[in-house]
Amino acid sequence: MVDSLLRARGLNKQFRSGNEPVQVFRDLSLRLDEGDSLALTGRSGSGKSTLLNILCGLEKPDAGLVEVLGETFDSRKPEVPAKNEARWGNLRRQRIGVVFQEANLMPALSLLDNVRFRARLAGQSEEECQDWLERLGIGELADRFPDQVSGGQRQRAALAMVFAMKPALILADEPTGSLDRQTAEAVIGQLFELQARHGCGLILATHDPELAARCGRHLDLGHLSET
Amino acid sequence: MTLLAALFSHYRRHPLQLLALATMIVLATMLWTGVYHLTSQARASLDQSESAVAERQQVTREDGTRMTVADFVELRRAGLCVMPWLEVSSPEGGRLVGVDPLAAGCFEQPASEEAPWQGELDGRPFVDISEAAELVREQAGQLSLLISDAGSIGGLPAGYRLAPFRVGPDTGELGDSFLLNLDALGVLVLLITALLVRSVYLLGMAQRRDSFALLHRFGVPQSRVNRLLVVEILLLALVCIVPGIWLGRWLATGLGSGFGQALEGLFDQSLYAGQGGNWLVPLATMLAVVLVACLADFLRPLARRLVGGNRRSGGSVLLMLVAGLALSVWVMDLLWLFVAVAMVFVAAGILAPGLIAWLADRRAESDRDLQARWRHRELSVLARRLALPLVALQFAMAMVLAVQALVTTFEGTFDRWLAQRLEADFYIEVPETGDLAPALDWLAAQPELAASGLWHRVIRGRATLPGGEDRTGTNVDVFALGPVGPLVTDWQLFESTPQPWQGLQQGEGVMVNEQLARRHGVRVGQNLTVVLGGQSIEFPVLAVYPDYGRPAGEILVNASMLPPDFTIGFQSLSVSPGNLSIDTVTDELRRIWQVEELTVRDNRAIKELASAIFDQTFLLTRAMTTLTLILAAIALLMMGWVFFSTRAWYFRLLVVWGLSRRQASAQLIRLSVALTGAIALLALPLGIWLTWVLVHRINPIAFGWSLPMAVYPEFWLELGVLSLLIGLCIALLMSRQLKSPTVAPVNANALAGGDR
Repeated sequence: MVDSLLRARGLNKQFRSGNEPVQVFRDLSLRLDEGDSLALTGRSGSGKSTLLNILCGLEKPDAGLVEVLGETFDSRKPEVPAKNEARWGNLRRQRIGVVFQEANLMPALSLLDNVRFRARLAGQSEEECQDWLERLGIGELADRFPDQVSGGQRQRAALAMVFAMKPALILADEPTGSLDRQTAEAVIGQLFELQARHGCGLILATHDPELAARCGRHLDLGHLSET
Repeated sequence: MTLLAALFSHYRRHPLQLLALATMIVLATMLWTGVYHLTSQARASLDQSESAVAERQQVTREDGTRMTVADFVELRRAGLCVMPWLEVSSPEGGRLVGVDPLAAGCFEQPASEEAPWQGELDGRPFVDISEAAELVREQAGQLSLLISDAGSIGGLPAGYRLAPFRVGPDTGELGDSFLLNLDALGVLVLLITALLVRSVYLLGMAQRRDSFALLHRFGVPQSRVNRLLVVEILLLALVCIVPGIWLGRWLATGLGSGFGQALEGLFDQSLYAGQGGNWLVPLATMLAVVLVACLADFLRPLARRLVGGNRRSGGSVLLMLVAGLALSVWVMDLLWLFVAVAMVFVAAGILAPGLIAWLADRRAESDRDLQARWRHRELSVLARRLALPLVALQFAMAMVLAVQALVTTFEGTFDRWLAQRLEADFYIEVPETGDLAPALDWLAAQPELAASGLWHRVIRGRATLPGGEDRTGTNVDVFALGPVGPLVTDWQLFESTPQPWQGLQQGEGVMVNEQLARRHGVRVGQNLTVVLGGQSIEFPVLAVYPDYGRPAGEILVNASMLPPDFTIGFQSLSVSPGNLSIDTVTDELRRIWQVEELTVRDNRAIKELASAIFDQTFLLTRAMTTLTLILAAIALLMMGWVFFSTRAWYFRLLVVWGLSRRQASAQLIRLSVALTGAIALLALPLGIWLTWVLVHRINPIAFGWSLPMAVYPEFWLELGVLSLLIGLCIALLMSRQLKSPTVAPVNANALAGGDR
């Protein structure tokens, strides 16, 4: 039996826009097993980023339960906020890699230092950091700073950071949204290849139907149906 | 929607930014107008006093004896236009000056200029000379003969010479120097306010860069955008400067009366003119400052063309710093000294942020801990991006350090000096008709006074030091006393021969005040020739004593050394009665002198009054500098907060990577505290140097006396704590942003926060 990396049940989230409450999603449930990949799609504002933030503890749901990598977070069982934050912090530091559309790197550190910084936080060896950059094809740019390389190269460095921490789960929020198609293809190809090779779970938020189709499963937040 | 409306929409979206800019302009205007207004009032007051005490020429006898009516007759017979000036005590108290209106006819005054003998001067009314002559029969009076045409020196009969004649103390050089100091403070405040306004304005501009780029893509010419920006800032400046000026005048007027009293205490003369300054100068100045500060980028191409270069090199800035420091040591002219101060400040301001960034980068290179490396790189970015408010804070801190040190030193020195000068409990004026000898005998015969009290007589008058460029000599004050006892023997002396007080008591020499020693290069041990009465006497100099605030030179001499023909300007007794009651003393003196009333001053009350007046001055000075510091701190706080917002994503990234918010906040605190701490450290040497310039360079050159140079490490500590508090405030404000889950990474580059 395959272990479940992540299970979410009955997630509710709403925002206020002025005085009006806006329901982002209600009673949302999902599951992700080891080696699985899940695409989150939906129009802008459908809650893709919010869901990713909830799944890595950056935001709290109004209601619902999240079980991730052996830790359970249940809104019905309120805990001391600091304790919850510490548990989420440990998970993000060591086991959950998060990739955003851009600005994943510290601008004041070189690409290599960014990767080493992330690996150090995760408690991983820094020795492989240069290798990860090599594997992603930007080894010769290791000493450059983020503003000295292209957007595609920055996203490759972001992937190197994520893989250098040896994550069990990767959450990627439009990771190629700001890249041209060709670069996006190359970056996403590397993401899937490494995810498959290392057997970690992947949840990918995207607008791109073709990209979504490459994932094992697909959750459309616009219609809340899973295929 | 018009282009102006589109441009202004930024402030509609960010009203707090507009409020910050408006507040900064209002506060900056208030601060500078306050200083300007106070300076104008002081200037107007000094001008008023100067015109009243304008120097004239008098004729004196070469043998030093008093002028008489016979002299007047002889000079008139010689065809010289001289006017008698007879100064006597009024029976109602105060002084009367008798002048001859007929003789005054040859002193033709322009209609616009009031002659000094019209109206009232320093509480002395002018009367016809016949009235004054009546009083001379009853008491001693001094006749002076003023001459209308200084060019007629060739026609002076033998035995006469020209001498300067003043109806008040010499405030010219002192006043100018004082005003120069106030002007310098004003310029420094103006520089700081310009930096603050510019820093807040540039912040808004950085955030509007995308809008400008969009307009450019829409085909709107850059020149049109620039013109609209000028209109925008002009309107904002006009709206904000007017209340700023009003607030500044209110501030200055509120503090002005105390300031006026303090000036009077300093210069021994009423100097406060009340309402001074106008609206136009602050309005025009602040308008220019705001426009230049905000639109300096438009002027940059012009400046480049003028200086013929694109970049200032670190070497030339360093050279400017060294040249400024060297100038400050060697120049003997106030104007050049202020130029040197400006050079050092400009160079320090340019170098400070660069130095912090350079040091942070060097630390980052050597850091093995990646978190520390990241933090040092962030520090470098912040130092460069927040350069303007940082420099403003550095200047304000340096100014506060220097002024605090100066004021505290002055406070301590002044208290000691006041205690010296007012050592006796009471001061009894000797009436014009009073014979001092029986009074002295009576005082000397009182056993209670001998056992527990102290007393001495004081004679004040004038003497002349021969020589000088015009060979008329230099007038100095004479402070003669006797017997020389404990009322003076614990005075602080700058330098002296062994047992100087014993020497003074035995009439072996004189002491001179610091002003006389500095201006005439008088040294202890040398012989000083003094014309006292009609005699030229050579005295060895026994000591140099501090005499803060007095414009003139003074010699301290044993009263027994004064020749019989010495003209006594004023006589008094300083008495600490001990077990004897002061009433017993005054009753007996009234009996001896056969007068109904005596003028008795309670020195303790005077000391309290003088201390209160000076305390108010010190408070005012501290208030103005502290206000500048608070303004600079607020500017850095605002800038730091807004700029940190552009970096918020990168701190949030730490949270994404698994650090707790508390840990991320701790990084933020370390960073902001390191930044403000570093600028406080750089302000420290600048402040100490400025203290040295004020105490050891400006004061002696301008005033003729120096204060002891003291440093106050507790101020450094206070300033250090303040800088840490500013850093903590920035970090706390910023930490609030870390709590928000809605910080979007897409904003980071758009806000130009992606620097490294």
